[in-house]
Amino acid sequence: METNIRHVDVLVIGGGVVGCSILRELARYDANVALLERNPDICEGTSKSNSAIVHTGFDAPPGSLEARLLAEARELWPHVIDSLHIPYLQTGALMLAVSDEDLSTIEAEIIPKAQRNGVNLQRLSRDEILENAPYVNPEIVGGVLIEGEGVIDPFWTTRAYCENAVLNGAQVFLEQAVSHITVEAGHIQVRTGGGLNFAATMVINAAGLWADEVAHLAGDASFRLTPRKGQFIIVEEDQGVSQIILPVPNRISKGILVTPIVFGGVLLGPTAEEVSSKSDLSTTAQGLQQIRAGIRKLVPAMVGVPTVRQFAGLRAVSSTGDYIIGPSTVSRRMLHVAGIRSTGLSASPAIGRYVAGLVRDELHLLPRHHFIEVLPEYLANAQPDEGDIVCLCRSITRGEILAAMRSPLPPTTLDGLKRRTGAMLGDCQGNLCMPCLIDLFQQQLGRDPLALNKNVAHSNMVAARISHSVDEPETLEALARERRDGHYG
Amino acid sequence: MDNLYRLAIVGAGLSSLSAINSGIAREKTILIDYADATGGFLKPALPAPGFETAWDLIESFHMPAGIAACFKTTAVGLLPALAPGEPHTLIARRSEGTVEIHTRRILIACGGLELTREHAQVPGTRPAGVITPMLAHQLLSRGYLPGRRAVIYGDSNYALATSRRLAAAGVKVTHVGLDALLMQILGFPRVEVVRFLRDGQLFDLEADTLIYAAGMMANTHWLKGSGIITKTDGAIEVDGHYQTNISGIFAIGTVTSPSLDHTASIAMGKEVASLLIGGFS
Repeated sequence: METNIRHVDVLVIGGGVVGCSILRELARYDANVALLERNPDICEGTSKSNSAIVHTGFDAPPGSLEARLLAEARELWPHVIDSLHIPYLQTGALMLAVSDEDLSTIEAEIIPKAQRNGVNLQRLSRDEILENAPYVNPEIVGGVLIEGEGVIDPFWTTRAYCENAVLNGAQVFLEQAVSHITVEAGHIQVRTGGGLNFAATMVINAAGLWADEVAHLAGDASFRLTPRKGQFIIVEEDQGVSQIILPVPNRISKGILVTPIVFGGVLLGPTAEEVSSKSDLSTTAQGLQQIRAGIRKLVPAMVGVPTVRQFAGLRAVSSTGDYIIGPSTVSRRMLHVAGIRSTGLSASPAIGRYVAGLVRDELHLLPRHHFIEVLPEYLANAQPDEGDIVCLCRSITRGEILAAMRSPLPPTTLDGLKRRTGAMLGDCQGNLCMPCLIDLFQQQLGRDPLALNKNVAHSNMVAARISHSVDEPETLEALARERRDGHYG
Repeated sequence: MDNLYRLAIVGAGLSSLSAINSGIAREKTILIDYADATGGFLKPALPAPGFETAWDLIESFHMPAGIAACFKTTAVGLLPALAPGEPHTLIARRSEGTVEIHTRRILIACGGLELTREHAQVPGTRPAGVITPMLAHQLLSRGYLPGRRAVIYGDSNYALATSRRLAAAGVKVTHVGLDALLMQILGFPRVEVVRFLRDGQLFDLEADTLIYAAGMMANTHWLKGSGIITKTDGAIEVDGHYQTNISGIFAIGTVTSPSLDHTASIAMGKEVASLLIGGFS
């Protein structure tokens, strides 16, 4: 246990897209700010596994804080995307009606709600849709276009917020899960499982799915979060799909969509399943089947396209129904930023600004003199003689890998490298290039292959060094016997 | 690489080496490969019982004079000739950047990559320890064990060779053939259990590693948009003379048929050489 106490003005708990946006906005002020993340990298929770849509908020509950922040975010995004060089495509979204009932839902609910949220929807006839998007189900009866919807890279966004904050003096502590929170006079004491001790004037609880548990550590049981699982299928062949295609939503979720990926390919999903575990990211045969059934109604040709990957994410559903942004019941020095459902990415620029504003008012912070608004181009660190390909499937060069390793927030895990560069994301899933990447981790960052994880602790790709004192003949013989007799295991 | 080549060969694996040994290339030929030496994607698994001819081919291979061999040089695109008589252009990446290779003929022999559990949409968790033989062999070659207790799933000689080598390195190996269906992967952050279905019965195997060796796919990503016709499985379509739909562009080996074994790849190399030397154009 470290006895040294680190004094900070503001401590953000949680390195997801929301926590990192808040950190960046706090870094605009003359204050000592830090962020704690329990995983070995930022963006390991809800922020990494979602449909990557920058959503207009056309269907948010009008009058809610969520609707307000989504509307503000619409104004902020162009500048954020520009300053942080985030890959973004304004694809627009096409909502398809497959029945007259769907059409009346659009007229009676979707369009009026969008108008109250300040988002314009454009009605389209069946023929207009099929002319522009010949790949959609010919059995549709009509639909609407939501022009302002787009897709982004969620990891890039989160990392860019965080790196920009670090460039402006913020500190980031990885693999530091919060274990104790004690409210004291004038400050809040926060202890981590990694043995760090903080005395923070204010604490921001942006712990995503675990925000209720972090609140609980401080003695605040004012809200509960439950996980909702979303499974996705990634395909590389887009079948011509260039817009987000969505069904008319039901009460539980927006339904299963076809969403272009900003780097190419298409995402199919998500499911919306109430689950009990906050760490169960497994995909299921039923879930994948449900996705295909949903997709068949939108883009039938997409059903049989080969997939390169499936995954699941969990989003936080709050007991209150809206975002929970405000002081804890135990101290006004602890702010919760919780229950952000599935709109955290879309609203992140506005959430960051709103929360930083609350902190500024509470602590009377003044703007920092020299805030660096623009993040340097990520690949500017690639050297001209590092152009050889390492990741064959995705044509990722050695220079791109090394640039990520030289960045202000270098990867500490293989997944961290994957999300920074795109390496290992292709058809072979890294089975070809991973040894080379393990070598580069060792050469560039001094990481022993035995201590290199895929993502979380104990997810090592290498189990041991080969020792030759093994029962080799016995195992071989057993193997031969198994093959001969047809007994396996 | 400013020259105009007679022939550019993409890939230095078995089919390519066999074609070169059979005299396909005499002069003004360029050979490029992703790796830093000849041998192709099978090389990390060799030597292995059952692969003696492949090993002999790689070990005894000598690059003929007249072939410019460029390693760590990866083809990333192909622009076929715009008009008859004009050369084809290969786009490749190497350490100094992107290069263009102009050539009369191209022989595509860039092999295949392994299928993963993702292609088969095997449900479950995504833990560390779910790998293919390619990764297992490369780790073993570097002196590392990919796990302690592995289930290897696949029927090919390649899968068997992988089992033997892992067992010899000290890994407890259980081999499951493709007559069983891989149903689910359980455990996180490492694999804990692999679930199969055979003869209507589910059975679980405890393991920290799953080596998925259920097959290959053609390595044709880089040909997207080139106009070269591929089949639904991604393999290149060729005629009886190994010519693609584009005149002067040929393809052999796994890239034309992902289920091909190494002896057939070697035979194909010989055959294409005799056809091309015989004046076929």
